[in-house]
Amino acid sequence: MSLWVDRFRPKTLDELHYHQSLSTRLKALASSGDFPHILFYGPSGAGKKTRISCTLRQLFGSGVEKLKIDQRVFVSPSRRKIEINVVQSNYHIEITPSEAGNFDRVIIQELIKEIAQTQQVDVSAKQRFKVVVINEADTLSRDAQAALRRTMEKYMSNLRIILCANSTSRLIAPIKSRCLLIRVAAPSTEEMQTVLEHVAKKLKFDLPPEASCQIAEDAAGNMRKALLVFETLKMQSPDLSGPLNIAKPDWETYCHKIADLIVQEQSPERVMQVRAKFYELLSHCIPPTIILKTVADRVVERVDEALKADVMHWAAFYELRMRMGNKKIYHLEAWVVKIMCLYKHFTYNIDMSEFD
Amino acid sequence: MAKPVRQSQRPSVDVKGKSKETRTPVDDEDDILWVDKYEPTSEAELAVHKRKVEDVRRWLLEAFEGGPSAKLRKYRRILALSGPAGTAKTSTLRVLSRELDFEILEWRNSMSERGPSVFTNDEPGPNGLDFDAETLFDKFQAFLTRAMACNSIFGHHNTTQIRSQTQSSTQRPSKRQLVLLEDLPNLLHQPTQMRFQAALRSLCIPTSNLSEPPGPPIVIILSDSGLRGEQPDDDSWGAGGSARRWDKKEVLDIRNVLGPEFNPIAPTLMTKALQTLLASHFGSLDAHGREGKQPPREVIDIVVGSSNGDIRSAIMALQFACVVDLPASSMGSKGKAARKNAGGTKRTSVRAVLEAVTRREQSLVLFHLLGKILYNKRKFDPPASHLSSKDAAKERELDMQLTDPSPLPVWISHHNRKASRVCAEATESPIDSSMLGLYTHQNYTQFCTDIDQCDGICEGLSWVDCMGGALSANSPYAFRTLTLSTLHSLPTPVPRSGQKVCKPTWFDVRTRELEASDAVGDVLSWLGKNEAVGGDTDQGALSLVSAGKWTHANVATELGGWLGALNRCNIDRSKLQGGHHPQPPRTHRLFSYLPWSLGAVGGDVLGENEDGEVERGGDDDEDRDARLPGKMGGGEEGKGWLEDDDIEDAE
Repeated sequence: MSLWVDRFRPKTLDELHYHQSLSTRLKALASSGDFPHILFYGPSGAGKKTRISCTLRQLFGSGVEKLKIDQRVFVSPSRRKIEINVVQSNYHIEITPSEAGNFDRVIIQELIKEIAQTQQVDVSAKQRFKVVVINEADTLSRDAQAALRRTMEKYMSNLRIILCANSTSRLIAPIKSRCLLIRVAAPSTEEMQTVLEHVAKKLKFDLPPEASCQIAEDAAGNMRKALLVFETLKMQSPDLSGPLNIAKPDWETYCHKIADLIVQEQSPERVMQVRAKFYELLSHCIPPTIILKTVADRVVERVDEALKADVMHWAAFYELRMRMGNKKIYHLEAWVVKIMCLYKHFTYNIDMSEFD
Repeated sequence: MAKPVRQSQRPSVDVKGKSKETRTPVDDEDDILWVDKYEPTSEAELAVHKRKVEDVRRWLLEAFEGGPSAKLRKYRRILALSGPAGTAKTSTLRVLSRELDFEILEWRNSMSERGPSVFTNDEPGPNGLDFDAETLFDKFQAFLTRAMACNSIFGHHNTTQIRSQTQSSTQRPSKRQLVLLEDLPNLLHQPTQMRFQAALRSLCIPTSNLSEPPGPPIVIILSDSGLRGEQPDDDSWGAGGSARRWDKKEVLDIRNVLGPEFNPIAPTLMTKALQTLLASHFGSLDAHGREGKQPPREVIDIVVGSSNGDIRSAIMALQFACVVDLPASSMGSKGKAARKNAGGTKRTSVRAVLEAVTRREQSLVLFHLLGKILYNKRKFDPPASHLSSKDAAKERELDMQLTDPSPLPVWISHHNRKASRVCAEATESPIDSSMLGLYTHQNYTQFCTDIDQCDGICEGLSWVDCMGGALSANSPYAFRTLTLSTLHSLPTPVPRSGQKVCKPTWFDVRTRELEASDAVGDVLSWLGKNEAVGGDTDQGALSLVSAGKWTHANVATELGGWLGALNRCNIDRSKLQGGHHPQPPRTHRLFSYLPWSLGAVGGDVLGENEDGEVERGGDDDEDRDARLPGKMGGGEEGKGWLEDDDIEDAE
């Protein structure tokens, strides 16, 4: 048994359900013999990785599906050992350098150099080059990106790089200009419904259209989330009839409640309570940027029109600080306090104007 | 209760160089430190938990005799005892050496005979000039090999840099031996560390010749230092800055080498130990016809309370307490704190003196620094209610010396503040800025009255953290920016409402976060494995489809609901027909289960005698596998906290 998401993941470009024009383009690229470096970007759960693996299959044939997972050990300049998981086939290698944190530069340099310097020995291979897939490319440090930029030029003859990122804004311009940018947009509700129905058909049961619609709408363009919710619901109530009760993830409800706390009261004691909640979220491995975004979204819903822009401005401001700094909690809290200040002054001023 | 052994009758005792002075033959018994004089000689005297001692004993027996099946011997090569300073690690070993009758060969770094101080990466130094120019590490290695190879001869060839500890003057060649490494080489130096690991590893490899018994086992003693604030919050490794702390597992680099971890000594055990010590001390003095006045019970309590689980410092304090004849003399000479309560109870004065003796400098500094900053006293503040008129007068005098800052222009006049009594330049201290930041962050809310004040402080913390980046600890401005921004934003005067300064919960959260992230890893690999096994999908056996498709963040944020449903499903099914779905790793609840509770913020209250380092890991009685939600939200029981007045007293 595996997750439906993985089990029914399309294997070839033809099997993909949506973004057909993109599939055709990718197919053309793969057969052109002049395959470029590619940067796939788009929201989470839109199908970037699926498209990457389909493209790889188109390039190299089914041999690319014979994967093995290695744990590689790298040694940083300060002789610290860094362990990282590497997924590879004979034709490609897939890494997530952000697992190595600040030492991602070492990984990028070592690994890519190693691959680049070995020629493809398999004569029957369809392509002369190997492909390096770099996941979560937008979390790469500046150093690593700079290292990557040089490598991309130098080893073009026997190496292609496929980057996968949520947004291009965190990538340095030289990298963007060296890649073919391909945006994988989130699927629409109808497209997601098709996929859900396809899965239901494969599993030989009936999915009521209302249910699929509800699931798709709830997932808001995240295909992975939709399929997970679908599977979860199926597990809970096998017939999927009646109004569905789609539970939000615990952390999301948690974030919403934090937002409520912020709006309800603005005092140092409340800051302390909010901090405890943030700590709880952080200790559950919820990425701080996601926490900030979810809470901010909710706060925006609850405050006056005049404040909305400011709330988002400060969220962006402290998100940047969070990236540059070390201790996430300082910045999360600084944002909360800032919002509380704004909110308090805002309501105070309104009261005053009413008096006049 | 065994009779105390005198220094003169016994071979020299080592308590990490503290006994250097005692090497000279001592006539006057009063000159001997009690730590050395009343070193425990039997298990009953050890203030260590029975089970810990039992663990070590069992290991030693297995190392010497091979355990029940006599085969364990070659696996029991290295034992590492770890724990904070003064938790009787060395003493335990010595007591056991007496009990099990083996001798201890000990390595000492002898600075006097040190060769060239620079250790190079290459082989020993350039040949030539000085033949004795053997680096310290070479000596260490030589010691190890010699100690391993020729066990019995060793005792006689014992020379300068190698000192062997013989239990009895007559040495029997058959005597069992053990190598004790307490004074380790400089492990912060990478090449040295690697050679050290290599040396240890080579000792671990069992000898090919089975008939020949392996050399003596090795015991390494590691004194922990706690977690530091510099450790970055990221999922990344600390780039620099964290050099003060080395991970013991990493240093040793050998699996299964870590032995029991010693915890700070429990107050009850320590009280008992101190009482027996006193009993024997005064008992023996009486025999000499001298009169001794045993300190009252309350002195012991104070000593125990202020020692923070460090029995060595407790004994030192106790000796001091007995030497100076506390309560009488303290009135006149022992500082402001004692004088303040002149005519007050004896207890406070004793306490003040003893604390002055026992507490570590750093803890004092941190505690006072926080007090100074968070109370934010400025010129012409009304004196606090508990201050005596004399102190208030002193404060006024001080105020007169402060010059007022020139008034600011109108448009920034809201930044006008009275001159601060806290001198930012003078607050330079051994506390690093990241530690101060954590403590300020934990505590500032209690001292603010309004959210606007919080804003200034938070902004300061955030700015300092982000400007320094990975090297925030090294930034020359961090400390002062932090201090000044906090002082500027706090209200003046800070209203007093019995604030308690707490230790940052950050460390605790950090540990839990790491645990949860391990759990995410577990689930990730479980997903992969699960698939490889159950490859009977309708599309034929295709292994590892999920490989690389999931990231840690995805698992943590999106898989929670599914895992929860799977759990519920499994429970239902197991009632009906036995488990059908595979069981995900139990640890997944560490990140997938997040109940909303309106608990208060935990956090231990910082006591004056603590140095701000938070011990990592808990009691090992705690079941590590039971990392279940019930525990996670668990507030920590507060330790005894001091009234805020105490901050003032000690200033």
